[in-house]
Amino acid sequence: MERISPHQFMTLSAAVLLGTTFLPVASIVTGVGGRDGWMSVLPGFAVGIPYGLMVFSLLEQYPRKNLLQISETLFGKWIGKSIGIIYILITGYLGGLLLGQVGDIYQASVMPLTPVWVFYLGGFLLVFYLVRSRIEVFARFSEVVFPLIVIALILNTGLSIPRIEQGELIPILSEGFKPIVLGALKVTPFVMTYMLFLAGIIAFLPTGKQELGQLKTGLWRVIFLVGILDTLVVLMQILVFGPAETIRVVYGLLVLGKMVEVSRTVAGVESIFLGIWLGAAVMKIASLFFAAIWGLETVFGLNGLKWRLAMGVAFVGIALKFTRGPSLILEIGLLDDYLIMPFVSVWILALWGVARWKKSAGI
Amino acid sequence: MRSWVKMIKDLTIRPKGEKQIRKSPSYSFDEELKKPLSGETIKEILSKSSDVVFREFFLQGKERIPCILAAVDGMVDKNLLDQFILKPLMVDLAGHPELAQVTLLNVVDKTLQSLLPGLEIKKISKMGEAVDAILSGDSVIFFGNLTEAIVIGARGWANRGVAEPITESIVKGPREGFSETLRTNTSLLRRKIKHPSLRIISLKLGEMTNTDLVVTYIEKIASPDIVSEVLRRLGSIKMDGMLGNGYIEEMIEDNPYSPFPQISFTERPDVLAGKLLEGKVGIICDGTPIVLVVPAVLTQFLNVNEDYYQRAMVAVLSRFVRYLGAFVAIVAPSVYIAVTTFHQEIIPTDLLMSISAGRQGVPFPALLEALTMTVTLEILQEAGLRLPKPIGQTIGIVGALIIGEAAVTAGLVSPLMVIIIGLTAVASYAIPTFDLSLAVRLMRFPLMILAGVLGFFGVALGLYAILIHLLSLRSFGVPYLSPIAPLRIRALLQDTFVRAPWWALKRRPQLMDVEEPRPNGKG
Repeated sequence: MERISPHQFMTLSAAVLLGTTFLPVASIVTGVGGRDGWMSVLPGFAVGIPYGLMVFSLLEQYPRKNLLQISETLFGKWIGKSIGIIYILITGYLGGLLLGQVGDIYQASVMPLTPVWVFYLGGFLLVFYLVRSRIEVFARFSEVVFPLIVIALILNTGLSIPRIEQGELIPILSEGFKPIVLGALKVTPFVMTYMLFLAGIIAFLPTGKQELGQLKTGLWRVIFLVGILDTLVVLMQILVFGPAETIRVVYGLLVLGKMVEVSRTVAGVESIFLGIWLGAAVMKIASLFFAAIWGLETVFGLNGLKWRLAMGVAFVGIALKFTRGPSLILEIGLLDDYLIMPFVSVWILALWGVARWKKSAGI
Repeated sequence: MRSWVKMIKDLTIRPKGEKQIRKSPSYSFDEELKKPLSGETIKEILSKSSDVVFREFFLQGKERIPCILAAVDGMVDKNLLDQFILKPLMVDLAGHPELAQVTLLNVVDKTLQSLLPGLEIKKISKMGEAVDAILSGDSVIFFGNLTEAIVIGARGWANRGVAEPITESIVKGPREGFSETLRTNTSLLRRKIKHPSLRIISLKLGEMTNTDLVVTYIEKIASPDIVSEVLRRLGSIKMDGMLGNGYIEEMIEDNPYSPFPQISFTERPDVLAGKLLEGKVGIICDGTPIVLVVPAVLTQFLNVNEDYYQRAMVAVLSRFVRYLGAFVAIVAPSVYIAVTTFHQEIIPTDLLMSISAGRQGVPFPALLEALTMTVTLEILQEAGLRLPKPIGQTIGIVGALIIGEAAVTAGLVSPLMVIIIGLTAVASYAIPTFDLSLAVRLMRFPLMILAGVLGFFGVALGLYAILIHLLSLRSFGVPYLSPIAPLRIRALLQDTFVRAPWWALKRRPQLMDVEEPRPNGKG
């Protein structure tokens, strides 16, 4: 069976967690937290730490098994399989919607005349190629692409510094801490989506004592790195656009990219930035694709190329079928808030609790 | 229909396991090779070839022993045979007390022990060994109807000597290069690594050519897994003719469908020695100065041996230029096409006006313009490569200057396109390895088409697809993009994009399972 190293786990996790979040995060947190929304990003991501540690505790107890297999062991066959079916449906549906987002963003921002299915097909082919190349290659892909995403984010925000409007952040905490808590709740689904991937990938992680320590440290680093990056993105958008405009412009980072000009030589780096974002989106969608096929394997024992193709058809079908624009964002938001977050938060907690109870009871 | 499918399958899918390529026909002497060894049988088998000479003489010992010396004319050192083999046996030793005791029963042992002084002398007893030795350039002495013979290593043929390799010329460093003679090449290597742990394992490949081959590595440095894998893959090759390194390369590389080279090569003993010290394995084939080195990773195709002879800072700058050149060579035309076709917003207005003015009157879209120019460039390169040097240069000048200038004047292409294609060509020459340069040239075309159809989205798709392909490649088990992915920070900072000073190279590259530190930071 393939294995990935703790370092690869770290970059892969960071890439999947950051994934497609950095485009809509500013609009989402500012929508509920106002000008203090940027402060809610890091606490929102921090929820991932206890959940991640619970998953690692399960990994320690049940090495080489994913959470679906552990669910079947702890909850029994039928409850375990029911959880698995929900898992497959969620990951497949969200993956399809995110594929739809690729086409939506490209068509809306830089290539309005190109048919949207071309973007779906292009994005899907990349995802499928990555999935066909297996998890080790996926991990290596993240090692190369994640640093590029970070550099692109820093450049995009850094080059926007001249456009900062002073005073946009003031007054701080004028509404108290409530907006921060509400904003954090809006960020938490991003972490829970990552947990869906973590639930499957743990079967490929090393389980030695030293490696487990490295994995836990890696998780802390990932949460803080991604949290800080997203905070930076939100902060810069609020400083440049102000809270009202940040809420209105869903993909504010692309607008920032459009406004960049370097020494009258390069202007509007939006299209270049989108190239990097495509890499991030591909990783996020591929992570969900992987999760969905792990689910198929675990729950139904369906393996092989034809089932992967079938899953691919489902992804493209969802992307093609669903309405685009604001309703797509709304659909992703609903899925995140009302399905992924409750499902994952209860599932992992329950799994961990039962595992602890069984261990202490010696069952 | 089925036969067509089979033919296409045969031509596209490399067989797994033992690779049987062009089986040799069975010859009448296959049976004769199984006969007991004797001079007369050898004459029957080889006398139809005019280059095989048989010198018959008598050895006057206790009894008169008829002898035959067989050798291939042109492959033996005649002087050595005359002076140190035939003359002692026929003239110098006549009447010698040792020779006086020689009979047909003890002639082989006596000759080995006390009559002939040569270093490379051994006894054989099989017909196949005798034929093989004669055809490989050794000389064999048969005694009467005895079923044993003596092989004398007296090879000597015309070779071009040790010269500076044309493909790997350097400014600062040794000038010697490998030649077509296997033993010359192993001796050049041995002169660089005078340590008993240098292993040189001999093999033979090619049922008809019987090509000599050696696998060389340094024990305790090279990974035993990689060494055994190399030997296993070489051992699985079954073909009638092995005429050079290219044959082996395609048969043993991990992914035969990839355009990227997965086995590196060198013509320089110092480079081979350096690679062996890094834990790699060399394959030296008789008849070619090209030595294959495995495993290979992408970054090493962009690094040259001169980096290690220059000062570290200079080497860092050279490497930066090469990596930049490779990037420009692969993306420059596609970026130009994407920008001019889809993403004009990326260019500030003044620059955009200037580009538009240049393109005014050009009847073709940017994609067609770029494709035409690139294909023209490829034709010029191909034409210039095979022609004699002076004519090749003329073709280059005619192509680059006259055709380019005429195309711009006629309004067929824009001046900026000529600059972009020229820049691409120059940048691709910055890639030091010919194989990688070819791969880059090949990748350029799909990227240009993707850029023409889908703009930067297409370029990104193409680049990510290439990246995934590179990440999925392995060379003898080592990931092709190592040490970038999987990340090995020490190797990355030590000797990949940059070259640390020699005193800082304390460990060998961590591409493989070699963790042994370098003594004194060298090696």
